[in-house]
Amino acid sequence: MRQSLTAVIERNTPAAGEFKTEPYEVGWASEARWFLRLNTIPEDRPRIEYVTQISPDGLVWCDLDGSGYESTGEALISASVQEFGNWLRIRGTIDGVSASTKLTIYLALKS
Amino acid sequence: MTSSNLRNEGPRRASPPTTSDDLRLAIIAADPKLSRFNPLPRILALDEFNSGTHGWTELIGNHDGTGDLNVVDDHMRDFRPPQLSSCTFFDVGTHGAMSGTYALKIATRPITGHTAVAIRRLTMADRGLVQIEAYFTYKTEAASEENQAASQPGAGAWDANIHPSEKQFGAFTFATDICDADGVRYHTVARYQNTNLDREFTRQWMYPVVPEPTPREHFENKVHLEYAADFTAPNPDDWRPFGNPQSLCYNEVPTKVNWHYLRWQIDTRLRRNVELQVNDRIYDMREIPVPVYTEHYESLENLLNFYVSARTHTSVRNFMFLDTVLISVDW
Repeated sequence: MRQSLTAVIERNTPAAGEFKTEPYEVGWASEARWFLRLNTIPEDRPRIEYVTQISPDGLVWCDLDGSGYESTGEALISASVQEFGNWLRIRGTIDGVSASTKLTIYLALKS
Repeated sequence: MTSSNLRNEGPRRASPPTTSDDLRLAIIAADPKLSRFNPLPRILALDEFNSGTHGWTELIGNHDGTGDLNVVDDHMRDFRPPQLSSCTFFDVGTHGAMSGTYALKIATRPITGHTAVAIRRLTMADRGLVQIEAYFTYKTEAASEENQAASQPGAGAWDANIHPSEKQFGAFTFATDICDADGVRYHTVARYQNTNLDREFTRQWMYPVVPEPTPREHFENKVHLEYAADFTAPNPDDWRPFGNPQSLCYNEVPTKVNWHYLRWQIDTRLRRNVELQVNDRIYDMREIPVPVYTEHYESLENLLNFYVSARTHTSVRNFMFLDTVLISVDW
């Protein structure tokens, strides 16, 4: 049976502005998928831009080619990541949301 | 309270030896996965993290019937997801764990006071001796241009022996959350304080004299703690030392991993600690008080939780690594 693990990388944290997630080790996994969920209010029209970052050591980071993602008006977005090495994080920007809007980021992994 | 040198006497007997005891001990001694442990007669869990997380998950405070995470206590909402770590570092690449490639990593944020907590949830089928054993190590995050760890509080001079990062590791804690069938709830706690809050080496085992503040106490407006408060016991004055200071093997730099043996036994019949062994030291913990909640709790019938935490005392990530955990009982 394959291994799987879903990590909540950010949980219900204020969503507006720029963000970078904590480093997360994924060397055991061959599949990875981000889920970004916003707890929006009716006035929100969220715009999200993010890119997956990879690292050889969890200390220095670069963008993963072709992993940029943009979305407008969606409360839940998801994208997979391939050939990522041992570490993953994302950096991104969220605007068009109220101060009370919160962001939750899941990282779903499979061996 | 004493500490003493240990002579490894192998798995302990619960009663006068019998043929079946001898056979059991021989089997344990011959099994490479078990012979490094000293389990009580019944093994409840053997968690070798090279094969997954084995139910060790992030601790979180409670939320309401709608699943509203805004009601989770600030100091219990961000204990971080544990990671399956290959112990990979900037200088040597993958170090690997003791039993294979992967260990469980419990990683704080780089925020002073932040605590990361992984918890294992069981229940009790009887009362008696309960023991958790582990092979563990602890590290701080190595310095980088982005984290600026070398210039964060706690970093000292490098003398090619003691590394500046060693003083940037705050504390790690092994603890339980236990509730009897009649609603009496308590925690047993053993914390290794590497440095005090001023980031000076103390290398001291500690215990709290108060029970951990609970979400119900917050709900009832009896307590409100800020983000990064010390959730086990928030007031530093509520911690007491036990035994003599103990130096561990940080091994000079933040990228060398040496595994330490820990064996901690408690008695759920008497609601007390028994003893803590860490490598060559044994600490008699029988006289250490275990504070009990004055109020009874429901929905926690026979609760038996174990948690392991790391807490940073500076703005540098702290890591607690577990290679393997074994939980055993005498019932």
